[in-house]
Amino acid sequence: MSNLENNEKLLKIFSNIRCLNRDQLPRYLDGRLTDVEKHLVEQHLVDCDLCFDALQVLQQPQYREKYQPLATSMQQYIRSSIKRISQVHKVERYQRQEQKKESFLIYFWIVAAIAIGAGGIYLVQQQGKFKAPVSKAIASNTELRTTQSETPPVQASIVTPVREENEVGRKPAAPVTNVTAAPPVTATPPPAAPPKPVVKDSVKAVAKPPAPVTAVKDSIKDTARKQLAAAPKAPEVKDPAKDKTPAPDRKDTPTVAKKTEDKPEPKAPPKKEKEDAPEKKTVAEPTSTDEFLYKAAMVYHQQGDLNEAISRYKHLSESPGKYGELSRYQLAICYRSKGQTGKARRMFKEVVRMNGSMKEKAQAALDNL
Amino acid sequence: MLQQLTNLSDKELISRARKLKDQEAEGVLMERYSHLMVAVCLPYLNNGPGTAPEEVYPRLLQRLSASLKTQTIPKANEWIHHTIRAQQAQTEKNNPFFPSTESREQQQLENKVEKVATNLKEQQLLAATMEATLDKLPAEDKYFLKEFYLNNKTFTELATTKKYSVEKTRQILQQAKQKMASLLMNETYE
Repeated sequence: MSNLENNEKLLKIFSNIRCLNRDQLPRYLDGRLTDVEKHLVEQHLVDCDLCFDALQVLQQPQYREKYQPLATSMQQYIRSSIKRISQVHKVERYQRQEQKKESFLIYFWIVAAIAIGAGGIYLVQQQGKFKAPVSKAIASNTELRTTQSETPPVQASIVTPVREENEVGRKPAAPVTNVTAAPPVTATPPPAAPPKPVVKDSVKAVAKPPAPVTAVKDSIKDTARKQLAAAPKAPEVKDPAKDKTPAPDRKDTPTVAKKTEDKPEPKAPPKKEKEDAPEKKTVAEPTSTDEFLYKAAMVYHQQGDLNEAISRYKHLSESPGKYGELSRYQLAICYRSKGQTGKARRMFKEVVRMNGSMKEKAQAALDNL
Repeated sequence: MLQQLTNLSDKELISRARKLKDQEAEGVLMERYSHLMVAVCLPYLNNGPGTAPEEVYPRLLQRLSASLKTQTIPKANEWIHHTIRAQQAQTEKNNPFFPSTESREQQQLENKVEKVATNLKEQQLLAATMEATLDKLPAEDKYFLKEFYLNNKTFTELATTKKYSVEKTRQILQQAKQKMASLLMNETYE
């Protein structure tokens, strides 16, 4: 134990002790320190010339009197200069903090704006992706408007049923006598289409359907009308980029159709027409049924339900006349859309063999296959 | 902020003042030694032109501030004492402060003692070495060191016993300590 104490005492020869503080200095001079404290101070005094000199000076009474006020004023002088500096520092620190805050906010809003922009672009892209499959399915039909002027015969061939309606539809608006003359025209639609395949006209014509068709739901009619207007113009999908552009056109057509549809209703067939109606029905029924079925199939085709469209087209393809040919042509297009090129080719060949209005179109499609 | 700075050691304050150009730290360091500066400068006040306290102390502070930025300062008290002496000698030429060899040796030993403070084994080893070194010192030096550090005698008691003045007693102790430090450091190098 004594050995340990001895060790500690030996080690304290080289222990580092701080200078006398402003409290210890007068107390040492006055002999008001404890023995331990005094010994510690003296240990420090062995090495420290500054403290020893200060004590030597202050032991003289004339300096002792001056010391206290000078020490206080010196302390105040240093403190005041520090205070000034610290205030400047505070202001600088505050300004720095404010600048940091501002820059942080700027960065935050920039990042937020970028994120919102990126999110918007992503959403738009996603929307485009979702639209793509539907438009692909009906690409062949929707694309046609662009090639309208280039393929007048084919267009005419498909517009024909509509044109028939045009004639029929226009006639109710005209004097009653003309309406009675219409049935023979509807019963035997001309194979080759006359000119003026204006879409508006066709839509108007469809909007004024004959009596038997009124039983069918309006929605199917509208879509079918749209399809009819578009169908002949879509022989092949040549450019995938064009798929997106027709979309707004299709959206627009129903509104036009609806508008036009509203107009004829008040001009519904007059009472006198009632007498002629049964005759008209009997003559026009097979064609209008085929037309309706064809339109319904077109609706499924347009909606992308190819299997349903195919089954309906198949059913129609058996019927003789124009709708049979049209259905086969559409059937071929459906097969082509599904990737069944063999079946599509066979169907196009059949259309060519039929030597109807769609011959050239089918031949062109065959060549492209 | 000031309160936090007053708790820092001299070394840390000097470091802050130099590296961070922290004038508050510099002020705290000056304030810590201001009473000693005042006391040491007292005999030189009002002795001629430019020796008024309003001139002497601010000039001293400026000198210290300038010196702080350029000098290596292992011990603040030695650096301040050196600067005050230079000012009192009225040498305008800035005489740079360099710690003496004895001072460096003593400081190395102080660091060593601080380092072994947590290790009892090393403490014992160092104490044994110091005891051996103490025996190698001249009889008077050995006597003074033993009486002062081991028997906790005061300057006055030692001075009275040997009939020396307190200043002489302190000088003998200081020299004896320096000799011991030199011997210990030489042993370490060997």
